[in-house]
Amino acid sequence: MLTFYRRLLWLYPTSHRELFSEEMLAVFSELEMNHRTESISRRAIFYIRELLGVLRSALFEHISQTFDTEIDFTFASRRVFMKDGFRFPKTTAILMALILGGVLLAIKRGEDISASLPHVNPSVGPIQPAHSTLLPPIALFFAFFYAAGLIGWAILFALRRSGVHRLADTASSGK
Amino acid sequence: MEDLPLSEPVLLILMSLAGQPRHGYSILKDVERMSDGRVVLSTGTLYGALRRLLDDDWIERFEERESSRGRQAYRLTSQGRRSLQLEVDRMKHLTRLAALRVATKES
Repeated sequence: MLTFYRRLLWLYPTSHRELFSEEMLAVFSELEMNHRTESISRRAIFYIRELLGVLRSALFEHISQTFDTEIDFTFASRRVFMKDGFRFPKTTAILMALILGGVLLAIKRGEDISASLPHVNPSVGPIQPAHSTLLPPIALFFAFFYAAGLIGWAILFALRRSGVHRLADTASSGK
Repeated sequence: MEDLPLSEPVLLILMSLAGQPRHGYSILKDVERMSDGRVVLSTGTLYGALRRLLDDDWIERFEERESSRGRQAYRLTSQGRRSLQLEVDRMKHLTRLAALRVATKES
């Protein structure tokens, strides 16, 4: 796993890697040693947390360097792991749907305008909108991930409402 | 420059370094302990935050002399300590205000 983690660190920008990779590797190694005696589920959570942590922070390091801006990504850790503060506002889902609808409408409108305009050079023939064949797959692609996201969110929301996450606390306090 | 209010992990990292200089693993464990296991940082998240705090001169890096491996450790700078104090004052003000409002409502 240490080798895999070492390879993951290559996702970071060079400056970050040169400064921190050895340290991160040492800390990960120490943490891994601590988790060696724990249950499989706890170890799995540890590895997932580390994997997501590196992916997310490497992405934001690249964004920070490319756009010369700082993004505070530390707030997100609790949400990803759905601890007490898990939130996914309904307004976000509605806003996402509105934006998607707006983009699709704009593309369709652009196609209609392009098709209705008289073509100046008839020998070339009518210019077909290049993305007319792309629109359905793109729409399908967005719709699929949007639906998958909604289903996932609904399942998590239902689980949270049912209080399943409290069972673990009950079991551990009963010991 | 970090803006106030600080995110919880950043605040906990600064609090951890306020007591004594620490290396990465020690910060992770201290943050976990201080938050009663509620905030568990990954190494990626920790070093992302440390990088920003270093850039802002809130913390500084040095080599631990006692350690045989020559580990890098971190400590608060005076600017970092000042900013932490500002955040603590802000939170104190908020809690005082909240307590007042709750008491008024109850009476």
